[in-house]
Amino acid sequence: MKTIWSRRDFLFQSGGGIAGVALAQMLQHEGLLAGARAAGADACSAPPIGSNPLSPKPPHFKPRAKAVISLFMTGGPSHVDTFDYKPGLEKYAGQVLGGDVRVRQGWPGPIMPSIFKFKKYGQCGKDVSELFPNLGTKVDEIAFIHSLQGRSNDHVQSTYEMQTGQIRMGFPSMGCWITYGLGSENANLPGFIVLQDARGGPLAGPNNWQSGFLPATYQGTPFGGADNPIVDLKPPAGVTPEQQRRRLDMLVRLNEMHAERYPGSSELAARISSYELAYRMQGCAPEAVDITNESPATKKLYGLDEKITEPFGKQCLMARRLVERGVRFVQVFSGGLGNQNTETWDAHLNIKENHTLHAKETDLPITGLLTDLKARGLLDSTLVIWHAEFGRMPLSQNGVGRDHNPGAVTVWMAGAGIKGGQSIGASDEIGYKAERQAMSYHDLHATLLYLLGIEHTKLTYRFNGRDMRLTDVAGELIPQIVG
Amino acid sequence: MSKRIVLGIFFSLIAVSFNKTVPRSNAQEPVSFTKDILPVLEQNCWKCHGQAMQSSRLNLTTREGALQGGARGSAIVPGRAEDSRLYRMIGGLDKPAMPMGGKLAPEQILKIKNWIDQGAHWDATDVASKAAPADVSQWAELENKQLPPGARNYWAFKLPVQAPVPVVSRQFQNPIDRFLEKTRQDKGLKAAPKADRLTLLRRAYMDLIGLPPSPADTDAFMNDTAPGAWERVIDKLLASPHYGERWGRHWLDVARYGDSGGYQNDVDRPNFWRYRDYVIKSFNDDKPYNTFIKEQIAGDEIPNRTDDSLIATGFMRAGPRVQNRERDNPERRFDYLDDVLGAIGKGMLGLTVQCARCHDHKFDPILQKDYYAMEASIYGYVELDYPLGPREQADAYMRTITEIGEKVSALRDKIEDIEKPYHDKLALEEIRKKYPPEMVRAVEKPESERTPGEKLLATQLLESAVSIRSAAVDKVIPPEDAAKKKELNDQIAALNKARPKAGAMAHIVTDGDWRAAAPGGGDFTKGACPKCELEYVGAGKFIELGPGPGNYKVPSSHFLVRGDPDSKAYPTKPGFLSVITYGNPPTELPPADRRTSGRRLAFAEWLTSRDNPLPARVIVNRIWHHHFGRGIVSTLDNFGKMGEQPTHPELLDWLAVEFVDRGWSIKQMHRLIMTSEAYQMASDYMDASSTAKDPDNKYLWRHNIQRLEGEIIRDSIMAVAGTLDLTMGGPPIFPHVDEVLLKSLDRGIWRNQEDGPKVWRRSVYIYAKRTLPFPLVHVFDLADQSVSFGARNVSTIPTQALTLMNNEFVLRQAQLFADRIKKEAGDDVAKQIDLGYRLALTRVPTEKELSLASDLIGSGSLLDFTDVLLNLSEFVYVR
Repeated sequence: MKTIWSRRDFLFQSGGGIAGVALAQMLQHEGLLAGARAAGADACSAPPIGSNPLSPKPPHFKPRAKAVISLFMTGGPSHVDTFDYKPGLEKYAGQVLGGDVRVRQGWPGPIMPSIFKFKKYGQCGKDVSELFPNLGTKVDEIAFIHSLQGRSNDHVQSTYEMQTGQIRMGFPSMGCWITYGLGSENANLPGFIVLQDARGGPLAGPNNWQSGFLPATYQGTPFGGADNPIVDLKPPAGVTPEQQRRRLDMLVRLNEMHAERYPGSSELAARISSYELAYRMQGCAPEAVDITNESPATKKLYGLDEKITEPFGKQCLMARRLVERGVRFVQVFSGGLGNQNTETWDAHLNIKENHTLHAKETDLPITGLLTDLKARGLLDSTLVIWHAEFGRMPLSQNGVGRDHNPGAVTVWMAGAGIKGGQSIGASDEIGYKAERQAMSYHDLHATLLYLLGIEHTKLTYRFNGRDMRLTDVAGELIPQIVG
Repeated sequence: MSKRIVLGIFFSLIAVSFNKTVPRSNAQEPVSFTKDILPVLEQNCWKCHGQAMQSSRLNLTTREGALQGGARGSAIVPGRAEDSRLYRMIGGLDKPAMPMGGKLAPEQILKIKNWIDQGAHWDATDVASKAAPADVSQWAELENKQLPPGARNYWAFKLPVQAPVPVVSRQFQNPIDRFLEKTRQDKGLKAAPKADRLTLLRRAYMDLIGLPPSPADTDAFMNDTAPGAWERVIDKLLASPHYGERWGRHWLDVARYGDSGGYQNDVDRPNFWRYRDYVIKSFNDDKPYNTFIKEQIAGDEIPNRTDDSLIATGFMRAGPRVQNRERDNPERRFDYLDDVLGAIGKGMLGLTVQCARCHDHKFDPILQKDYYAMEASIYGYVELDYPLGPREQADAYMRTITEIGEKVSALRDKIEDIEKPYHDKLALEEIRKKYPPEMVRAVEKPESERTPGEKLLATQLLESAVSIRSAAVDKVIPPEDAAKKKELNDQIAALNKARPKAGAMAHIVTDGDWRAAAPGGGDFTKGACPKCELEYVGAGKFIELGPGPGNYKVPSSHFLVRGDPDSKAYPTKPGFLSVITYGNPPTELPPADRRTSGRRLAFAEWLTSRDNPLPARVIVNRIWHHHFGRGIVSTLDNFGKMGEQPTHPELLDWLAVEFVDRGWSIKQMHRLIMTSEAYQMASDYMDASSTAKDPDNKYLWRHNIQRLEGEIIRDSIMAVAGTLDLTMGGPPIFPHVDEVLLKSLDRGIWRNQEDGPKVWRRSVYIYAKRTLPFPLVHVFDLADQSVSFGARNVSTIPTQALTLMNNEFVLRQAQLFADRIKKEAGDDVAKQIDLGYRLALTRVPTEKELSLASDLIGSGSLLDFTDVLLNLSEFVYVR
């Protein structure tokens, strides 16, 4: 890895002297780094520098998982056509659902059975639809939750709620909170990385990963491919590495001289470190998502050999590499704009085509991810969560589609030592509303934080005189998950 | 074509299905509904889930209501208490525990459990009469709630008074210094010496106009050795139009300004830049702050309303808005009102009044009833786009547009009627082609033979699933109908031709009926939920601002229990925050024409009254913060008990009174502050004892170095490169954003412009897109633009370094900076370096710096040098 600017070089080049706080931190860090090198770690997994706001912070108690991979199905997959089998749909097919039924588009239709066949899988005998034949083989490692309730039937407000706990704009998403709470194990990469669908961004766009009132440090960073993963990561054509090196050396000299006039300023010391981190990131970020050297078997596991599974397979494989390198929170999106009706899970118009396509794209890669994480011993320390903004109506939309339904949302989790083969909570007979053990998105967030060793009521950020929380003033742990 | 349908059949699926459930063990005592259950429901549940109010849309006065349930789902599953929300919530198994604020006796809970397990039998009692609309007096307790005694016994709720200026050992000219010195003496801190003149000059420029002084500016100041040079430079900068760009930007953070609406559609606000320009102009004009506030809250109601005062009301609607399907989601209106109260609360009062939306504030004496009184004060506002120019002309325009709109709409209805038979036939053909046979059957059956389910399908399909273009109808329509249609279309064309051309428009608010406000595009969703839908009171009626007698009435507003729009308690009257209301100010000041209620004007008068203890304190504290890097109260938007307490309470009050006495003049505050010795202290001053006692420099024993905002960094880069176009105002610019980032955008506009002189303007003019804050500014902690946010974060992160190192715009400017140096300094390297330092850092290089820079240029290029300058800490910090 010749592009990596080693710390030792850095110190030599900069004359070996650095002001106040920064010096002490960097020297201390040198020792750590030497240890890491002796252990055979390469420069990109070097531990972070002390003054970095992403330095790892201790959890509140022993965590089950160190990292999260969120698989976010933007548009909202239908729970009753995937993992929440409802024979009641057959029973009441064509009948009218009474009461105050709110749909998102037009008028509510009658009750509509699933066009997909369900089959029992695993020891636990979980019913999974034919959309997920591969994932079906993993049900004994998965805990399904069938009784979440959201507060909006609009994509964007509901996406905000799933990501931030609030249906209004301006709140930090869970990836930001987690990175704020725990820092990152790898300072050479951002702590919260977003891998978008090749077709485009998710519904709600960049607000999915914005940091709201939390400092910008904790905001999610969208990653592209290995050639240029982060915007402005690499200098534009015409700036040679030598040139950049020369500039950085001078910059450090001059910034140190400046910092000496303000001894004790941690901001200025951090600024000097930030340039070094930036320089290392230039080498480390492309490496982290470069999948060319993965074995053919691994590639096949993620479906990279098939056109339909390749794009999402790449996202999943990158997610594994990032988690392996100590990134705290990786969010992988399935579905992107474009055409919302066909390119996201938003199956108003044709659930058969829509869900067949998106399930086919993701079934094998997600299965491969779970297999690969397990084989590498990462599954126990990684929480994998499959979720979306909401589920869909048990009702027909024009006989071919389903409208939005935040009343009985299914999500599933795997890894993090969670007991698999469970189905937690239940929706009513037709999957319209949560019936047994209804839970809010706050409950999900509280549980997720718990798995990472965070007591959700204690993860606070003082904003404008109030201790803000991801879970606001709510949040109950899901007992079957936390055990 | 009617968009409404009524569901003829009301079939409760859940009721039918679960009645078949086999009852559990009958070991329990049979429970009597009338004797055991009804009284419990009546006494504990019906207040919120009865006829008068259906909190969470739940009505517990009938079995149907209980089975159907509320927003969360059914309340009762007969035969299964464990799965019934009613039991789970009263039993504390699910949150929120019910009844609110109380608990049923264990035997009552057990009875209800058994009753549900036994099938939830509901006797045919005369429930309706028992559950008659509740007497409003049951809410008297809420309405008459008083502040706890001693609530005003907190500094921020008392009126500020000027304490005598302290006497300190040294004679200071500026009272500010005497207050500060007193505290320093008390804490044993030693003040830093005065900073050098170059440092002061740069500080003043950055603080007041956000641009570094040019070498000519610097020379002029350095050559002005006569007394008063410092005052003169302050006056010069305050008179600069760029002052408004700098300080207006601070206010835009408070006003949660955005050029787009946010949420899914991120709707463009094509004229909102007028509000931004209004803010800049107001700062430049040193508009008295009380007038500035009044215009933003009630610029349409003030007696001498102007185009500017109308534009000012944009403040009320500056926050995020969905602008889609509002009529189907009436609860959003309350979020918008909350957004406005939040911005006024935090931005002008320094209080978190939003906390009182659902309950009395937990820490400050802000009652929930006060929240709803304030809500009533702004309740009538509606958003509209309004023409600028003479009032008669503007009103005439609005009237004409409305009339034409109504006529066109009536003609369109007639055309639809003519087209209907042909349209329906085509639609049916389309349905036959596109939809499965059972769907086609449903549509083809005569209406009377359709099953209830088929009726729904037919409605769905016929009303919204297929769209037949008018042109397609034209192909099959017989000549006589075609002629009728043409005649109507001609009439429409004639009307449209007569439509007056829109001149300059502004996004304003005035009073009206929000239920009639246009939903802002999108679909025309109507669920089978007639209650969700708002009564439409007639397009355009509410916006008539023309001459003639008006009789405007604010729609009725209510106290909402737990903030739930479905839980209306007593009707509210306009009012204020009790704890900071002195005397008995009027709550309505209706204008003579009675076209608005005058509530907002009364509210604005209250806000800017001398008897309101907070607004003056809050604004002088903001000014202080931007000069010193920290407010006297460091939580700029929260002066309540959970905010930080003032470091210099007497100084804050002294300044607040002074501010009002000097006519609410912000520029006078700058002069007062900047002529203090405190402002002119050095920042690179070290004193071990002071550091130990006050490491964060809360008590101002030296000046704080401050990182510049992203906007100012970008502006400074262009300023030193000599490329900055200082054209002011007008529609926003869209400087180039990497295509990769645009890919993740959902909706709205971003008209990406090529990097070049057209976008090399000040950053305050960049389109403030809520779903894509401009990256180069955002990375340096641009505040979230959806809430009022007075003090930005300062974080230091690698992506900032990456941006300044690698961003194409920055590198191009570095090249232009190098070109400029070469042009102005010639080929002499020492001169080049000297000029570079003077341009970028307002000082000459030290010998060491000169030698290092010479080496750099020698072994590399002038570009290496300018690039380094733009990355220096000293460049992005005010010293």
